[in-house]
Amino acid sequence: MALQEIGLTSSEMAVPRYTLRSSAWARRRQRVVIGGLILCTSVTLLTTIGTIAVLAYESSGFFFNNEIELKAFFTGTTWTIGKTQGPVDYGILPLLLGTFRVAAIALAFAIPIGLLCAIYLSEYAPTRVRAVLKPILEILAGIPTVVLGFFAVSFLNPHILNQLADFRPFNAMSAGLAVGILCLPLVTSLIEDALHAVPQNLRDAASGLGATRFEMIYRAIIPSAASGIIAAILLSLARATGETMIVAVAAGSIPTMTLDPREPSQTMTGFIVETINSETIGPGSLGYDSIYAIAAILFLVTLGLSLLGQLVHRRYREVAR
Amino acid sequence: MSNPMEMRERKGLTRIDRRGRREDIFSITCLLASGIAVVILVTLLSTIVARGAGSLNTQFLMGVHLENQPEMSGISQALVGSLVLLLICGAVALPIGIGTAVYLEEFSTSNRWLQRWRGLVQLNINNLAGIPSIVYGILGVTAFVYMFGMFKPIQVNQVPQFEVGANYFYQLKTLELPELDIPGQFVYFPASDPDLAFRTITEPIDVYDRQGLKLKLNVLDPDQPLPNVASQLTTSVMRGTVASRFVRFNRGHFHLPLGRSILAAGLTLALVILPVVIIVSQQAIRSVPDSLRDAALGLGATRWQMVYRTVLPTALPGIMTGAILSMSRAIGEAAPVIAVMGGVLATSRNLATMMDSSPSLPSTIYKWSLHHHIAYDRLAAAAIIVLLVTLLLMNLIAILIRHFYEKRLELL
Repeated sequence: MALQEIGLTSSEMAVPRYTLRSSAWARRRQRVVIGGLILCTSVTLLTTIGTIAVLAYESSGFFFNNEIELKAFFTGTTWTIGKTQGPVDYGILPLLLGTFRVAAIALAFAIPIGLLCAIYLSEYAPTRVRAVLKPILEILAGIPTVVLGFFAVSFLNPHILNQLADFRPFNAMSAGLAVGILCLPLVTSLIEDALHAVPQNLRDAASGLGATRFEMIYRAIIPSAASGIIAAILLSLARATGETMIVAVAAGSIPTMTLDPREPSQTMTGFIVETINSETIGPGSLGYDSIYAIAAILFLVTLGLSLLGQLVHRRYREVAR
Repeated sequence: MSNPMEMRERKGLTRIDRRGRREDIFSITCLLASGIAVVILVTLLSTIVARGAGSLNTQFLMGVHLENQPEMSGISQALVGSLVLLLICGAVALPIGIGTAVYLEEFSTSNRWLQRWRGLVQLNINNLAGIPSIVYGILGVTAFVYMFGMFKPIQVNQVPQFEVGANYFYQLKTLELPELDIPGQFVYFPASDPDLAFRTITEPIDVYDRQGLKLKLNVLDPDQPLPNVASQLTTSVMRGTVASRFVRFNRGHFHLPLGRSILAAGLTLALVILPVVIIVSQQAIRSVPDSLRDAALGLGATRWQMVYRTVLPTALPGIMTGAILSMSRAIGEAAPVIAVMGGVLATSRNLATMMDSSPSLPSTIYKWSLHHHIAYDRLAAAAIIVLLVTLLLMNLIAILIRHFYEKRLELL
């Protein structure tokens, strides 16, 4: 009443709307809440367990199929599942090679440019340039991969690659370059972090000895950030291996056993996308089971690469400290 | 060739000069490499705008895919599909993700078992973020579309094993006698056993017309001549006419397994972005100063009261920023959606229930950029413009929230 007389409305009065009391009721409610939160956390664990279980169970349907010889699967050089009627060849090497070809082109593009870009950002760039360059890399990182795939088929291939040589309409090179564009921001930011983690006294020591900036970077900073750079390479390799939409759009749908970047190059991910949508290949068929076998291999490869990358990453952090 | 002046200059080039030149070359190379990133972005955006801007019109935004008519095709169904996917994905991933982050940051210290659980979950999240999204797509197909084979797979013209919100009828057309001025009409009667796709009419039954009026269905014998009474001829059929099954779905239509439905795709997408949601929410919660926690606990609050009344409200803008950013990741994600619902183009607007399937914006871009008709290329570019503008707007909102948030945290 008194407050209202001096012109304060009730909403402006400092009246607590709730109490913070550790009453028996509140404690009981907390227990329920914690139970609920633990349920939430279990979703992520269930996802992992589910993924591993599904891949193991379903791919065993492929690997232990009587029609499948494991030796032929791992060493065969032709893959015709989903391509022909009747008897099929199921050698995984063309798909692995296709994946490797695209990833190698991507890394050959992204690693040098990303490294130089990271060195520029961390050692040379004035604050103003940094303030422009960092958001540009962030925008590049946020572009959906299907857009990069479109860019590869509708621009990179006809307007750049075909001016230089005779590339097929869908080829490893355009897909690889687009995957490289995808990896570039990732590589840059990971390497930049690694360069930032190099202690200042190393820089001071190098400049104190009269090194130019290039000598300081080349002799002191890069060697001490080496494990961070290796981690960046491994993580972006994992990313390039698992990339799906770019290769589904730009790399074509023919698995080829060649190193020629002008040829089509179906990857493991590209095969999965093509087959999982196929009208003719349904659950229970050999083609359908092969998706799971390939996904299991893909899962192992990417998980292995990213675990290794994290391990190296953690290691260099400790060394840097 | 070499004249004496040049020789002297080369000899006179000191070590310092050479080192300086190397330094210049290197720094310029670094600058050029950074310039490549800018060139790529500018080229990417300008090609797409140059190719797609001409197709951006109301017809494009309101239309659906029409085969061989690129100038009439549009993305309306894809837009609706993307929006619904985003809603499902957000409704599932955000609460679970934020809940997990709250648990990991606030509740895991009280005993040894909870700490171990935390370590396990944290390790797991870091690894989940590295799994390719197509693998999630395969998980989605197995876990949601076929539900591990626990139920009979969804097939065309078959009733799912478990279903609610579907009304099964049999449909048949009554006798049409233009010379007697009797128009035939479609009549319906409820199906007692929906598993039967057809039923043969042998005796008179009660049927309903389109308006829901109850009618008596007369059954005429094919061997006998037609009766002369017109009233006996309206709403009548020959004995042995076959009625076919007809189904109408309610808004709440639901069946198990989920089949290639938008619900299954949304749930899969939720799994894809869950690690991202958790990681960004953890960062937001971690940035809340400990003084707030101490104050709440000092007042006698339980941990949950502390979290609910002080930590979450303070971290809310940060969590919202993270939520928007992870949603913008979900909106551009194509592989899991294509794996679950198939890369189909919408030829009509047909997303009535959660059990229908619908293309999303990225899956439409995928199909159009691979379309054999080259003109759909421009439509793909136009759809990309719409997608990128949406992403830009979402990021703008996130930046604005972050800006406001930083100011408020400074005040604390």
